[in-house]
Amino acid sequence: MKFFYISPFLVFFFVLLIQVTIVPLISIAGIVPDIILVTLVYYSISRGQLYGTVLGAFYGLSGDLITGSLLGSAMLAKTLAGFIAGYFSSETKRDMNISSFNFTIIVFICALVDSVIFAFFSAFDLNTNLVTLLFEHALLPSLYTALISILFIFFPFRRRKI
Amino acid sequence: MIRLFTKVWNNFKEYIVLVILVLASLIILSQNKSLQVQKVRAIAFGSFATITSLISDAFSVTDLKRENEELRKINTELMLQISKLRNYGIVNSELKDLLGFKDTINLPLIPATVISRSLSMTQNMITLNVGSKDSVLPGMPVINDRGFIGLVHSTSEDFSIARTLQNVDLKLTVMDERSRINGIMKWTGEELIVVNIPNTFDIKTGDRIVTSELSSIVPVPIPIGVVDEFRKNETGIFSYVRVKPFIDLISIENVFILADVKSKQKENLELNFYKRK
Repeated sequence: MKFFYISPFLVFFFVLLIQVTIVPLISIAGIVPDIILVTLVYYSISRGQLYGTVLGAFYGLSGDLITGSLLGSAMLAKTLAGFIAGYFSSETKRDMNISSFNFTIIVFICALVDSVIFAFFSAFDLNTNLVTLLFEHALLPSLYTALISILFIFFPFRRRKI
Repeated sequence: MIRLFTKVWNNFKEYIVLVILVLASLIILSQNKSLQVQKVRAIAFGSFATITSLISDAFSVTDLKRENEELRKINTELMLQISKLRNYGIVNSELKDLLGFKDTINLPLIPATVISRSLSMTQNMITLNVGSKDSVLPGMPVINDRGFIGLVHSTSEDFSIARTLQNVDLKLTVMDERSRINGIMKWTGEELIVVNIPNTFDIKTGDRIVTSELSSIVPVPIPIGVVDEFRKNETGIFSYVRVKPFIDLISIENVFILADVKSKQKENLELNFYKRK
């Protein structure tokens, strides 16, 4: 039971390791998919909104500390992303949301929220064009993240009972 | 009272936790410059970088790595020499003698390897396998044989994080090598631009951009890139100057940290100047 709650926190370090070492190799014009967010959405849907919100805060804060980005920015973004993903965790639709292409759509919505908030804190200044900011810093990375999340649907472990 | 609290908690616990965590995030956002936060960050990324470096090392062959490192060091030193020579050619030698131009070719270089990259559109960072134990300090320039990469942002005992050119928080004093015009270069999230260059200034497409001698953090002119696009603003007074960097962030692996040796005499002189002000 304890491992059930702790495992997503342990999984995070493995995923972060991949995010900082392997994921940059598949970047397109500086746009990288956020596999930490995909993991967060998966756990938020499978374990509920409250769990997803807290997990989002942990993933964001740890990411901020380890990668050197503006401390608190990813924490805020991922907390809200985890909270939103939690809306799709109802008992009846949980399995369907994880194992179908619904998952990709949910990832896209959460990635969009995450990227907009993160971009607002890390890139916004008075000279910034808001449309460009939303398109290049939020929409494109979100689309790429959603695309990568398709692979996640076919992962063998998701077929097991969580 | 307790019953009311329990009822509220049961009905709105998700929202209560969300509000608490959002508030916590905002408080943390305001504490970014705090010394304690910097210490916690150094411990966190230092510990994680230890694991990352193991994976990074697994991908490389040790002997080849060492040889490669040596060759790159020579290459980087040659790059600095070429940069220096270009500078000599442009600036009048008589003026240089008058200014007492010092030889800065033999600057100490600390070899380092990129063990992880945190890539985003705005906050590109790299983690290096050298830290305060190797005499690396925040503010030291990170370079390779192609030119300037970034500046060390924070260090732990064995590792350091550097802000690269493609980071919105890195603003650098740069110079057009041909016309000697100085400006501030920054990353907008999409492109590297030199800001506040008046329309009347002499800048052309293809000009090499190097770090400026006015910069207090980069001691020698290090190549950054070339002017990719120069456009005079018809309505405003400042031009649009876009720079194409020499380095490719995705492919960099082995780098050098330019260990800036501070001149005590110069520091005292500057300190006295500021005190007088």
